[in-house]
Amino acid sequence: MSASGQAAASPVDDRVEAELRRVGAKLEAALPSASHQPLKVLDARAMELASSDRELRAALFRFVDVVPACRSLDDLARHLTGFLAEVSDSPPPISAAMRISHTKAGRAALGAAAAGGVKHLAHRFIVGESPRSALGTLSKLWDHGVASSVDLLGEATVTQSEADHYAARCSEAIEVLAPATRRWPAREHLESDSVGPVTRANVCVKISALTPLLRPDAPARGQRDAARRLRPLLRQAAHAGAHLHIDMESLDSREAVLELALALLDEEDFRDGPSTGLVLQAYLRDSPDQLAQIMDWARSTRRRPPLKVRLVKGAYWDQELVQARQHGWAVPVFERKQDCDRNYEGLTRTLLDARPALRVAIASHNLRSVSHAIAYNRVSGGRDIDLELQVLRGLGDELQHALASEGYRVRTYCPVGDLVAGMAYLVRRLLENTSNESFLSEQARGTPLDELLAPP
Amino acid sequence: MLAPFANEPILELRRSAVRAQLHHALERVDATLPLEVPVWIGEDSRTGDRLLSTDPGNPDRVVGRAPAAGGADAEAAVAQARQGLREWRAVRAQERAGALVAAAQWLRERRVELAALEVRECAKPWPEADADVCEAIDFLEYYARGAIELGRGRELLQVPGEHNELRYVPRGIVAVISPWNFPLAIPCGMTAAALATGNAVVLKPAEQSPAIAYRLVQALRAGGVPPAAVSLVPGDGDAGAALVRHPDVHAIAFTGSLAVGREIVRSAADTGDGQRHFKQVVAELGGKNCVIVDADADLDEAVPAIIGSAFAYAGQKCSAASRVLVHEAVAEHLLERLAGAAKVLVVGQAETLGTDVPPVIERAAQERVARYCRLAAEQGRVVAQAQAPDGDGWFSPATVASDLPADSPVLGDEIFGPLLAVQSVRDVEHACDVVDGLAYALTGGLFARDPSVVRRVRERTPVGNLYVNRGITGAMVGRQPFGGNRLSGTGMKAGGPDYLLQFVEQRAYSENTMRHGLEV
Repeated sequence: MSASGQAAASPVDDRVEAELRRVGAKLEAALPSASHQPLKVLDARAMELASSDRELRAALFRFVDVVPACRSLDDLARHLTGFLAEVSDSPPPISAAMRISHTKAGRAALGAAAAGGVKHLAHRFIVGESPRSALGTLSKLWDHGVASSVDLLGEATVTQSEADHYAARCSEAIEVLAPATRRWPAREHLESDSVGPVTRANVCVKISALTPLLRPDAPARGQRDAARRLRPLLRQAAHAGAHLHIDMESLDSREAVLELALALLDEEDFRDGPSTGLVLQAYLRDSPDQLAQIMDWARSTRRRPPLKVRLVKGAYWDQELVQARQHGWAVPVFERKQDCDRNYEGLTRTLLDARPALRVAIASHNLRSVSHAIAYNRVSGGRDIDLELQVLRGLGDELQHALASEGYRVRTYCPVGDLVAGMAYLVRRLLENTSNESFLSEQARGTPLDELLAPP
Repeated sequence: MLAPFANEPILELRRSAVRAQLHHALERVDATLPLEVPVWIGEDSRTGDRLLSTDPGNPDRVVGRAPAAGGADAEAAVAQARQGLREWRAVRAQERAGALVAAAQWLRERRVELAALEVRECAKPWPEADADVCEAIDFLEYYARGAIELGRGRELLQVPGEHNELRYVPRGIVAVISPWNFPLAIPCGMTAAALATGNAVVLKPAEQSPAIAYRLVQALRAGGVPPAAVSLVPGDGDAGAALVRHPDVHAIAFTGSLAVGREIVRSAADTGDGQRHFKQVVAELGGKNCVIVDADADLDEAVPAIIGSAFAYAGQKCSAASRVLVHEAVAEHLLERLAGAAKVLVVGQAETLGTDVPPVIERAAQERVARYCRLAAEQGRVVAQAQAPDGDGWFSPATVASDLPADSPVLGDEIFGPLLAVQSVRDVEHACDVVDGLAYALTGGLFARDPSVVRRVRERTPVGNLYVNRGITGAMVGRQPFGGNRLSGTGMKAGGPDYLLQFVEQRAYSENTMRHGLEV
């Protein structure tokens, strides 16, 4: 089926489907087996439990969300039992947990266990408290043929000093990562493509964290304020030879972020660098229009390093849906999974066709989406080296392993920060991971390969 | 058959294409100013210039010009209303509802211009102005449906040989006295409720916003409400007092200050002058609204929500947050973040998108706010202030204060301006004690994530509208019926299923259906 879902399949489509199946089968075979990673099995069971029961899932998420705000073991236990009390049909392990909470000692034990559980879960997704403490993990990833991108988690920026603090952390990340990554051994498929070198040090930055002044209905003031902190970071990244990737967040800031990024990158100062990137969210109905806008810009800019576009599904789906419904607005995201997946594939093809004006990173844990990108790239005459795959730390570990072992360039998105900062991120990841529609749960349930690779 | 009620969607101002409409609408409205607002009684109208409403951001700009209605006008308006009542009460509920829905459509078709007029007459920033117009539309649509339902009467217990009915009939003539801070929605809500249930209305709007009130009456008449059933008497407090006193007025719907509300209740209690009924008073008065922040609150959410609830529309809302009661464990951190967030607020013109704090409504308000700020500095500590710009408008800075003594007027009086007082409490029980000690009980907020704490505060709070883990303003018709207890209000909540009951009399009917042992 073609990307539009309407027209009849073309010969290219048939070849892509055929190649896609070959690629997908090899990747599936390269996925690590569960028995090698006992801790992952435990986590998977917890996830399974959470996925199967909506009330339990809600209770666990509310607990994870509040953990950093708890001030004692007793406090932790009180919150946990408070949330679990609202679950109408607790499975036996939960009822057992509730029973021990009636004594002070029991609460202390429960609190410690629960906090320990959350910390363990957090460590699966967050690589370290600071860029320096994360270096060990990032270096090990590189040794195993996996590149990385560092994202700094933090509280919302509502004051100027919080914005300054975030900018300082971004600067520190560049300063720590650039020299450290230079000492890593050569990995040709991770650090070059047909255009030229691909930088090793890769830092993500959020515009909304660089200013407290961003307003959805009046973006200019926030844009100016963010720009004055972003310019020095761009200069520093250019000088240090690091890549700076501008993240996309909710629709409220989308226009502002895209406009600011394209305007800044057109400035004289940044003509020759640094390597930078943007994000395209496939779950937005108007994402093809954004891509057209980015491609127009790429064609007319005098900037030399090609802009890297990371194609994601999008991480704020529930929020966008709820906000639109509460206000009576048209829902800006695809509501059906297959429409989003279809759009993802259409955007993949347009992006790959746009090279070398753009560089392309396909960020997905969906075996079909990933295989499709690789297959289309090959069928349209591209080299594997000119396509980057990206996964999220903690969620995409198995896929990362498979892609690396098959020789593709894979980059893992690695959040850095303390537990307090990490909560919003963690809750969103858990929501994604335990949604019944999530690809990972399908995989875990043992869905056959043919079904996993079927067109959306 | 009307479709199920749904709130009118506010403009999606995060999209630049939507924002583009605003400027043109403002230009179109500016070209029509000043608006001649008549004393409009039945078919009679007369204009004048005793009463001038001006742009709080540019007081030289006259927005509305009206005569100041006096005692004679009040008398004439009530006489017309008597006639209008006869006509209007005979119209079936379905058709009355139809007129309200048509009026809503009239507003909907002009929504951006109406918002522009609010930007000019009351210095409502665009998002606030747009929300006010949507709320007015919501009241019309919601009460239209409520009227149809009330028109069916109530189910009573029936036994053999007896037929029982309970019906709701209009009280008669309703005087509506409305404020300037929600200059379309609040007069619309009170007037629509009265009209929906078959009453005739005399509307006395705030002297600061006669032009917008004029548009409301135009909408209602265009929708099909007979002119005699809805009259407009722009004027000052005297015009309102004359209506309240009038022996032929059956009910008064008032939204405004506690001081005026008290006077209305007192005056309306008098049944002299041959009056053969007790007057019903529906009053929505002031608030001293507190937000409680517990130790486990998500401050990323609490800070923007508190800032918005305290400073949007310069705090000129009865629902605005004026005090924060924060658990001592997080008090320092919260105060630091609130201060930082307040410092970056934009105090500016209402017409400029991105303005957080517009000018306050008039000089007296500006002076009042300044007085309380001075008091806060003397008795406690000004922690942060967003400065007001230079210029002719009635700009007030946005201020966060702390360390005030328990008996400070800053903590007890309704200031109705951009001044937020923050204090530390031992725990949530202590916070509830503080809230319980207030004479007002309108809105309240709670930021906490422990379900037992949320339950506890729900049990203990006296407020009419408690909001958990969100801001405390922005009540939506049908979703958050709005109104307070204690000295914050007298009756049932606006935009809720019981509001219309205040505007009707109940008539029970019971007939013996037996004839010679047979049921007929």
